[in-house]
Amino acid sequence: MRVLLVEDDPTLRAQLRAGLQEADYAVDEADNGRDGHHLGATASFDAVILDLGLPVLDGISVLKRWREAGLTLPVLILTARDSWHEKVAGIDAGADDYLAKPFHMEELLARLRALIRRAQGLASPLLQCGALALDTRSGRVTLNGQPVNLTSHEYRLLSYLMHRPGTVVSRTELTEHLYAQDFDRDSNTIEVFIGRLRRKLPPETIETVRGLGYRLAAPP
Amino acid sequence: MPAADPHWTRSLRFRLLAATLIAVAVALVLAGLLMAGLFRDHVMRQFSQGLTAQLDQVTARLEFDASGQPQIDPQALTDPRWSRPYSGLYWQVDGANNEQQRGVLRSRSLWDATLILPGDLLADGVVHVHEVNGPDGARLLLVERTITRDELRATPWRLIVAGDLRETVSAVARFNGVLAASLAALLVLLCAAALAQVAIGLAPLRALQRRLTLVRAGTAQRLDGSFPHEVQPLIDEFNAVLDRNAEVVARARTQAGNLAHAIKTPLAAMSQAAAVALQRPQASADLATLVEEQVGVARRHVDWHLARARAAAAQGLPGARVMLQPVVSGLLRVMERVHADRRLGLQCAPMAAELAFAGEVQDLQEILGNLLDNACKWARHEIHVGAAPIDSAGGARLRIVIDDDGPGIEPDRRDTVMARGARLDESVPGSGLGLAIVNELAGLYGGSVRLAAAPIGGLRVEVELPRG
Repeated sequence: MRVLLVEDDPTLRAQLRAGLQEADYAVDEADNGRDGHHLGATASFDAVILDLGLPVLDGISVLKRWREAGLTLPVLILTARDSWHEKVAGIDAGADDYLAKPFHMEELLARLRALIRRAQGLASPLLQCGALALDTRSGRVTLNGQPVNLTSHEYRLLSYLMHRPGTVVSRTELTEHLYAQDFDRDSNTIEVFIGRLRRKLPPETIETVRGLGYRLAAPP
Repeated sequence: MPAADPHWTRSLRFRLLAATLIAVAVALVLAGLLMAGLFRDHVMRQFSQGLTAQLDQVTARLEFDASGQPQIDPQALTDPRWSRPYSGLYWQVDGANNEQQRGVLRSRSLWDATLILPGDLLADGVVHVHEVNGPDGARLLLVERTITRDELRATPWRLIVAGDLRETVSAVARFNGVLAASLAALLVLLCAAALAQVAIGLAPLRALQRRLTLVRAGTAQRLDGSFPHEVQPLIDEFNAVLDRNAEVVARARTQAGNLAHAIKTPLAAMSQAAAVALQRPQASADLATLVEEQVGVARRHVDWHLARARAAAAQGLPGARVMLQPVVSGLLRVMERVHADRRLGLQCAPMAAELAFAGEVQDLQEILGNLLDNACKWARHEIHVGAAPIDSAGGARLRIVIDDDGPGIEPDRRDTVMARGARLDESVPGSGLGLAIVNELAGLYGGSVRLAAAPIGGLRVEVELPRG
């Protein structure tokens, strides 16, 4: 999953980046509203964490411009603790959730997971695909109740696919959503990880749709 | 104040004095001119009346001889000045129509001089007054009258009496001198009076200045003493500002003290734990937990005091009014979006459009936001919001009711949740401050928060606030 982090405070940004990366998110970041808006409008993200008090262009304006341009990606805004006014303005501008500063990293990750899931129309934090189950809260993957050990990259890949069961996902889309912009995008990497993942899962779980990409099918 | 203003025009004393001085000076000069004029007029009239009386005497002594030549017997005129040369009182008889006949008869006092007067012919009996230069270079006032014998084709004669004006002029000058001196003395007195008036009138302002200095120096808390009616309202206002300042400072001091005290406890706990961890490094894992926990405690205190401080600052701002419906709608939109995956039914009973809260919009948002957020956390399916105006003994009020169908709170535990930092269930995220802050805010506005059982199964929160 790839998220965009727009926050001007360098300390908080570094903490958030570290926390997000530890939770296996690919993170792109911006320290002002204009760059943030540009990134969000041009690259593909699964979610945005948007601070409201930004230099150059404030968060509410960034959000309004995205929504006016038809961008539907889930946005989590960061507000001051006691400012309900900001919360109302943010939600009315098109935010999907808010988090009042200061907050715990776990709280942020929980909200983010819920947002991404909701954006895919999934209600439960436990993603099921046949005998295969992925708990987004704990990051655990089980097959018939037995835990499957995955590396961070493998988990990201599987999680992305399990958020879109039965849908064909192209290699480009995977690259875009699994890595931050500055990552060396060699599409072969995806193939390598698909290969590794296939070895840990029952055969035919990840189908290759020739010329289009991959599809997750329910394992028997 | 424009910088171009010279310094002295900004002095009240100067303005008062300058205005008084100009007015008094103008008045005195005008009065002086008027009085001098009146006096001169009066003296001249007196003088010319005296001359006219003399003229009447001379006229009475006028006789004509057989050839029609006028005759006056000098012995018949008793005033000795008629005969003393250049005495200052003269008479003369001219032929009215003939330059040759000028001065046919003259008083002895004229000696060898002749009075020359403008040639005008008068009807019988009319007296004319002129000012002319006489003998000896003196200014003379002159009265004349034309006399005609009661015969046909008789020659008219002009009878002239003149008096020296020197005495009169010097009397007028003396009077003018005295007048000017007394007016000048009056001006000085009036200026002194004005100075005294300004000094006495402005004395309260100087007293005020001294009191202000005392206040600024910190030796006085407010402006004591009674001041004139004109200044008293200003003093009262100023004292109100001082009182409010003092109150704000006192409250800020108390709050800072409270906050410092509240934060000291977690700090002490952490310091203690750090000391223990230094001695027993294997306990450092506990240290991290404890620091986390104590930082949380400290943060709750900070949040709590910040909310209090803001609410307290909003107090005493008269005229604050905020419409209820838009605030509730905005918060409900937030709740619907944020709790979208719980698919809660948020129902808001229609409320009167003019229903308003008498206070700050942020405080209303804080109260309702926290309550709605709580309700959404606990509700299973439904949340009902309603508001209605009520009229109680405490004045016009507003009752907002928020019902949820969650687990509710047992009656005997309802007081506990209102207490600061209390959290009945640690498994649901939150600072544990929501209800306590709501309670505190409502209390600051003179309102109240009541917990009860909701008809739909869960908790009912009733908030009463002043209506705007």
